[in-house]
Amino acid sequence: MTLSSKLAEPVRGQVDFDGILLSADPLLMRLHLRSGGAEGGPLAVPELAELCRISRRLGMNLSRAAQASDDDCRIDMWVETRLIPSGNDQQLSLAIIDWKERPHDDTGKIDSARERDFDRLEGRGAIRTDAALRIIAQQMPLETGQASDAIGQSLLDIYDVIPPSAHARLLESVAERQPIRNQRMREKGGSQRLFVLQGQPLIDKAGIFAGYRFTATPDDPETSGKDRKAVAGKLISDSLFGSQLGPALRQPLGKIIANAETISSKLEGPLRGDYASYAKDIASAGRHLLDLVNDLSDLEAIERPEFTVAADDIDLVDLAHRAAGLLAVKASDHQIRIDLPKESDKLPARGEFRRSLQILVNLIGNAIRYSPDGSVIKVRVSADDEFARISVTDQGDGIAAEDQDRIFEKFERLGRSGDGGSGLGLFISRRLAHAMGGSLTVASAAGKGSTFTLSLPDRKES
Amino acid sequence: MAQRVFSMNETMNNDIIRHASALADKSSFIADDFAQALFPKTNVFFNDRMRSNARQYLRGVIGQIEQRICLIATQELGVTQDILVKIAAGGAGQSLNLLENSGLLKTVEIVQHLFVKAQQSELAARLLQKISQSDLEATLTRHLDHDDPVIAEAAMGLLVAQSKTTSAVGEISASLADLPAEIVYAFAWPVTASLARLSGLSSLQLQAATERFLASHDESASVARKADRLAQLIEQAKAAEDQVPHPMRDGLSLFIARLARQTGLASDQIVTFTAEPDMARLVVAMRAADFPVQEALSVFFALDDGDNILTAATYGETDRDRALALVTSWAAPRSFQDAQRVLADDSLGDRAK
Repeated sequence: MTLSSKLAEPVRGQVDFDGILLSADPLLMRLHLRSGGAEGGPLAVPELAELCRISRRLGMNLSRAAQASDDDCRIDMWVETRLIPSGNDQQLSLAIIDWKERPHDDTGKIDSARERDFDRLEGRGAIRTDAALRIIAQQMPLETGQASDAIGQSLLDIYDVIPPSAHARLLESVAERQPIRNQRMREKGGSQRLFVLQGQPLIDKAGIFAGYRFTATPDDPETSGKDRKAVAGKLISDSLFGSQLGPALRQPLGKIIANAETISSKLEGPLRGDYASYAKDIASAGRHLLDLVNDLSDLEAIERPEFTVAADDIDLVDLAHRAAGLLAVKASDHQIRIDLPKESDKLPARGEFRRSLQILVNLIGNAIRYSPDGSVIKVRVSADDEFARISVTDQGDGIAAEDQDRIFEKFERLGRSGDGGSGLGLFISRRLAHAMGGSLTVASAAGKGSTFTLSLPDRKES
Repeated sequence: MAQRVFSMNETMNNDIIRHASALADKSSFIADDFAQALFPKTNVFFNDRMRSNARQYLRGVIGQIEQRICLIATQELGVTQDILVKIAAGGAGQSLNLLENSGLLKTVEIVQHLFVKAQQSELAARLLQKISQSDLEATLTRHLDHDDPVIAEAAMGLLVAQSKTTSAVGEISASLADLPAEIVYAFAWPVTASLARLSGLSSLQLQAATERFLASHDESASVARKADRLAQLIEQAKAAEDQVPHPMRDGLSLFIARLARQTGLASDQIVTFTAEPDMARLVVAMRAADFPVQEALSVFFALDDGDNILTAATYGETDRDRALALVTSWAAPRSFQDAQRVLADDSLGDRAK
């Protein structure tokens, strides 16, 4: 597929003084995410980030060509940076006036995403660099996400070449675009792990050297051999979703969703209405699958014997507002109002911040899913000597008394389907509540709505 | 003591003393300059015209930057110092001499820029011996009717930019709008320091004026950037029947930008190659870009000053894979290439064993 976008309007984005991407049009956001960036994180497209850095350093507007590359295609851009004076915090706007995509030459090659997934299963890491050995993407063993700090930096700034290999020989191989074999490297910072790198030069369709794809095998003589054997023997290790299949599935699913959304919003040009609607269905199904993958990862995590939660000092009122904020768009789609405690109120408790938020998002999300349009969801807080409590009450059909225990079981859907649920949310939420020394209960009657109450150990404010 | 020995008036006497002091300060560099002229590190030839052009260009650029900073300082920031008001009104700038004597203009970035500009002017003059100015100006018009409106619009942008910076044959147009951001930046701060010294004005006000000047500079209007963008669009849209780049079909700026685009090199590198003996690296770049023999010979002829010869046999025997490998290595970041050279030198001893 060749994409050639003759856009009447430039693709726009905005970064702040620290290089954080504040806003971006969908095409730029998609590229940023595919380059290893995160929403609210630093701009991760190396050449664009470099242009922003130069523009800020000089205090000048630039107009330059830039290139980017992801698993699917290479993108040629013409970029104009504009400084936006705004007090002390100088922001920068990016206008990409030419955006042209062309596919990589993948004839006879194994799909790089598949290669990466196999690498993960085998306990290897993967690093992609551009022609100047700057890191475009990096996923190392035992790391769940991409190492965003390394993106855009030179490989030789992050790793030291370890003898008997020689620095000069590595540079020579790169200059001659030769494969790199058994190159031992040590991380410069952090845990200073040792890796053995194997690199394959990447040549694009135009015959131009586009960088390297490295695999990084941990080089720890005492443990790595044992671990590798154990993993290889099983093909898939015990922590199936948490560290292997989960991350491996999330990226292709993310791509499906992003591309389907691009098609459904007709960003690349006109499209028949029913096709746009099919694309919307694909995006919706993709999101459902992604939720399922996330739930299965959580399920695998909480069933591990070593699973623990942190005991953070949290405020349940604050968490309720955060959870409601995350679901505000979904609620307004159904004209549902979420009635929250006053923001100035406080209800201190003890529990892991992230996991408590996850439970509340699950409870309020379920309430939105099973409430009639135009109804109200009430979130209330209370406390006694031992526990702080937060309850979520909806105006849905309610749950019959005989079903109230079953809904906390794994994959229990009470015969419902097609509503985007996986049947794991409440099971996971109750397990998390127990792990934090609390509980999750339901009070309901058929036809009269439901109230789910999360209780967590109280924390007296000093 | 000296004043009494010579029967000169006070002013003249002071001038001689100042001059003598300046010479004394610089005397230690005379041998360096002579050594450079006597034992050059390269065999690239710089003629007097290039030197003179580069000097005129430098004077023009520094004068314009001085004037812009002074205009902002006086009109926007309310500075009233006489000397700055005079410069803002177009009076002769005074920074060049100060900066030259201080050595502040002798940075790699500035010198490289001056050399590329001078060489580009040489190439333009050579080209005009083979094609008329009007034919050369007509080269871009063929892109104005391009099927892709984006290309047509970019070609129009380049035409407009070129028309704004036209200078006499063999001269370099010192247009501020034509400078890349890094070069403006490299010039602007030494000029600011010089203005602060000359005027005795608080450097904070001049700094503010310079920051405003830098923020207002728009490199997107320059010929080089317009040519780069058009080259990018043409190369993306390239159809099978499209011809390879040629200075007599594309004009000099677009030819350089297209060859740079095809080889992954910078435009400045391509210009530098044309100054080197036998234009050997230009030949290798054309071979890497897979120019057909006749086209390569024609380009070589168009850009050569008549001293060099390229034969079909020589070009045909140049191995394309090796040419590609070489061009790839030249396209690597400069500091990477420098490091490679140092490491290669270090390992020479090992190889010799």
